[in-house]
Amino acid sequence: MHLIISKRISKLLFVLATSLMAVHFASAQKVPVTEVTLDNGMKLLMVERHDEPSVSGGWVAHVGSSNERPGITGIAHLFEHMMFKGTETIGTKDYQKDQQIILEQEQVRDEMRKEEEKMRAAYRRGEIDDLMKPENKTPRWQELNKKFNELITQQRDILVKNEFDQVYTEQGGTGMNAFTSQDMTAYFITVPANKLELWMWMESERIRRPVFREFYAERDVVFEERRMRTDSTPLGKFTEEAEAMFWESVPYGWPVVGWPSDIPAISKAQADEFYGIYYAPQNITMILVGDFKTNATIALAKKYFERIPRGKKDAPDVRTLEVSQVAEKRMYAEAETNPQVDINWHTVPFGHKDSYALQVLAQILSTRTGRLYKGLVMGSQVATDTYAAQDSRKWAGLFNAGGEAKDGKTPEEVEAGVYAEIEKLKKEEVPPEELQKVKNDFAASEYRRLSSNMPILMHLIQNEGEGDWREINEAGKKIQAVTAGDVQRVVNKYLTKENRVVGVYTRKGSSQKQEGK
Amino acid sequence: MKSRYNHSHWMSVFAALVMIAGLGIGSCARSQNLTANGTAIPKRPEQLKFPPLTFEAPSPAKFRVPLKNGPVAYVVPDKELPLVNIVIYVHTGSYLVPDGKEGLNELAGYLLARGGTKSKTAEALEERLAFLAAQLNSNIGDNQGSVSLNLLSKDLDEGLGILREVMTEPRFQDNKIALRKQQLLQAMKQRNDESEAIEAREAGFLAQGEKFWANRYPTAASVEGITRGDIEDFHKKWFYPSNFVVAVNGDFDRDTMVQKLENLFANWPFQGEKPSPIPTNTLFAKPGVYLVDKDVNQGRVSILLPGIKRDNPDYFNVLIMNDILGGGGFTSRIMNSVRSDEGLAYSAYSSFPGGVYYPSTFTAGFQSKSRTVAYATSIVINEMKKMTEGPPTDVEMNISKRGYIDRFPRQFATKTQIANIFAQDEFTGRYARDPEFWQKFRARIEAVTKGDVERVARKFVAPDKTVILVVGQKSDITMTLPEHPVALKDISSGPVTELPLRDPLTMKPIAGTEKSAAK
Repeated sequence: MHLIISKRISKLLFVLATSLMAVHFASAQKVPVTEVTLDNGMKLLMVERHDEPSVSGGWVAHVGSSNERPGITGIAHLFEHMMFKGTETIGTKDYQKDQQIILEQEQVRDEMRKEEEKMRAAYRRGEIDDLMKPENKTPRWQELNKKFNELITQQRDILVKNEFDQVYTEQGGTGMNAFTSQDMTAYFITVPANKLELWMWMESERIRRPVFREFYAERDVVFEERRMRTDSTPLGKFTEEAEAMFWESVPYGWPVVGWPSDIPAISKAQADEFYGIYYAPQNITMILVGDFKTNATIALAKKYFERIPRGKKDAPDVRTLEVSQVAEKRMYAEAETNPQVDINWHTVPFGHKDSYALQVLAQILSTRTGRLYKGLVMGSQVATDTYAAQDSRKWAGLFNAGGEAKDGKTPEEVEAGVYAEIEKLKKEEVPPEELQKVKNDFAASEYRRLSSNMPILMHLIQNEGEGDWREINEAGKKIQAVTAGDVQRVVNKYLTKENRVVGVYTRKGSSQKQEGK
Repeated sequence: MKSRYNHSHWMSVFAALVMIAGLGIGSCARSQNLTANGTAIPKRPEQLKFPPLTFEAPSPAKFRVPLKNGPVAYVVPDKELPLVNIVIYVHTGSYLVPDGKEGLNELAGYLLARGGTKSKTAEALEERLAFLAAQLNSNIGDNQGSVSLNLLSKDLDEGLGILREVMTEPRFQDNKIALRKQQLLQAMKQRNDESEAIEAREAGFLAQGEKFWANRYPTAASVEGITRGDIEDFHKKWFYPSNFVVAVNGDFDRDTMVQKLENLFANWPFQGEKPSPIPTNTLFAKPGVYLVDKDVNQGRVSILLPGIKRDNPDYFNVLIMNDILGGGGFTSRIMNSVRSDEGLAYSAYSSFPGGVYYPSTFTAGFQSKSRTVAYATSIVINEMKKMTEGPPTDVEMNISKRGYIDRFPRQFATKTQIANIFAQDEFTGRYARDPEFWQKFRARIEAVTKGDVERVARKFVAPDKTVILVVGQKSDITMTLPEHPVALKDISSGPVTELPLRDPLTMKPIAGTEKSAAK
């Protein structure tokens, strides 16, 4: 359920996810991280690794969709897109004129927003059916839109299109991308080892003085991203609904990409305000993995990043805690998909002492030698596939399990099968051999994750973004220390009826023929 | 692998200092940030100076070992982590599957590693692999099969024993065959659920013809009819040592590993057949617009043209041309105009891969809300046309060529990559044809001229032959926009044809899902 929106289509996160599902070991290998805090509060993590002549560099802004509020949902992600639009010197031939045009654009947009308020009122009264339809825009809005487009045309003459990308590409940068989740926004790239200073220059400049040009076209791009990932996929909208239903009070209930009404309504002024709070250096962690010398790199980082003044205010803490769910919630969805069930229980956030036993539990239930597969796929044969995972986020967490029903069986039968396996775990401790098998897998993956710079960087980003990079070296030990009693305790504590939300999916339409229309 | 490079940062700081002194321009110095250590940060990134980075492409000969017992192996020792990674590539594929047995390669490929061995039931094998935290996988695709094993080096001998038994004495256990058939059948049922899947399938039909072997799809009937005997025969026909190429890297000594591989392939219990050549009889559709109606709010578009093989003399020219047109992401023309200028799509690209065995297809594609599908298509077609009407700019040429040259070392970033790139070159015959391909790669990129780019654009991306595939909501897609009154039928010289959806279990067109063409 953890939604990650990346700026570009990238297989990287998939590759990472696959490598995360790997092996484990008794004597885990530590990732040798050097941590430095700069004078402005920015954190810098470094892992020297001389296996290949490159440096993977990234940074985490400790802000995600959970820092938003209704009306500006999607702003953290839109902001991620805007960070590629350039700086005062990158992306334009004439900064002064560029600023002037952006100012004029905002004045037109202010007037357009007044028209949009009227259109929303008309929508609420039922006078128009769809705010996105070109025919439903007011005449005044259309007139202003023309004016706005003229300003865009003027701006294009002085624009250097996607120059930020051009600079990196020309210098051999690869895999430049970014993602936004509920908890973090992260930016990353790999550069040739001799170009570390270019990375310092580019990243410090865009944090220090970004220019949000082409803001409104990028808003449209994000809406297309929403259509691509959410609206036009068989389960996108249902997953969104399930998340909205699951989270009671913690701000995870809205999609990372934003509600459809909010994305086109976010203003540049709101983006500016957001930047001021959440992109202050004390809210950012820089991470470098690869072929460099640590001491020289610290000096270079101080030179480039300490130019950025510490923010006047620290980002506010998210104070709302998830309330306890008191009754089971169920969703019955008819979708273009095979019948399946998806069950979620409220559990614990990242770093919680029970999160390790829950991870072990997930491994006991999932995989081809796990309990769900043996019980439901090979045993009772109610399912063709099953899964289980613990998802520990920054402010709260969940445990997820489910599976696809075999033809002739129902999602409810799969659901009952999952509960039967859980009941067994509540009553009887996991045998030592089974527990060891699962721990071996965690131990071997401690090695597999170290295969090259980018996977190490991504692990550090993930851990630091969720709460603390040190978990990359601490979690392994804690997982090895989990006992059969711990597993039994967390199953009894968290996997209860009143604590769960269940999605039951059946195929829309009664036959394939109707499906085709 | 030899890679020498120098990257002292003190040196680069020093270089920046020299550069500023050399410029000595007041206006420039004024805007620079003088920092504590007295050196300045330049205003623009091209003012930075970088120490040289020398990188020599590793030589395949250094790792190549023709084994006495059949295959060529690429052996790359690497002591960094206590892991070993082995991949065995096999000359086989769906093109060798008899008509009526479609899906046989998928079943045989999956079940080789998942179906047990003579001495171990499937369940016992899975348990043992899981306890060792070893990853054993097998697969047979269109024109290649593979068996791979990744495990801790302490378990290498046991792992090799399992690998040998899996490849020579697989059990293909009945309950695993039944389960895999059921999984394939249920996966088939999802064939019309995602517009992306429909697009990929129909693009294949249009670009290569429905009769082409790669466009044969498993059906409920074909999968149902596959027997254990079929699977066993298919395995024995193609899984024998001289039909393999091996890539191995990780924690071992080279000589020890070579001996272990010799043992792995010694005294193979059966002889297979030599696979026939891969058929190349593709058939490209008539120019026009082809529309599949699907109720989603975003249309998917693929603009197709006949492609090239990768041994085409214009391969490098095409690489740069396509990079500038739409292959280079945010530095490409299609991305700039469709996404950044107009905000019409999240992803917009072109791809022009050289085919290994037969010409692969040129594709330009994007996804846009229904109402802007036609307009965005016209923009992409226009970019293709502009590509043929004049040379690229110096800036474009420089970004593209420098990009390819400077990121070249990334191809060989890990030992797994080194072993597998060379094994693939051996497998596809590139090593035999062009053994210095990687040594010469950067020089060949450097040699591409603006004239070459313009010439290959005219030769390969002239928009008049395009086949345009659209998957999306027909009613909205065929409506024009008030401010951009371009319609689908105006985009191509050919007709607009509506394609039916296919029954997911038989792949036969579903009558009534296509209506008369929109004119």
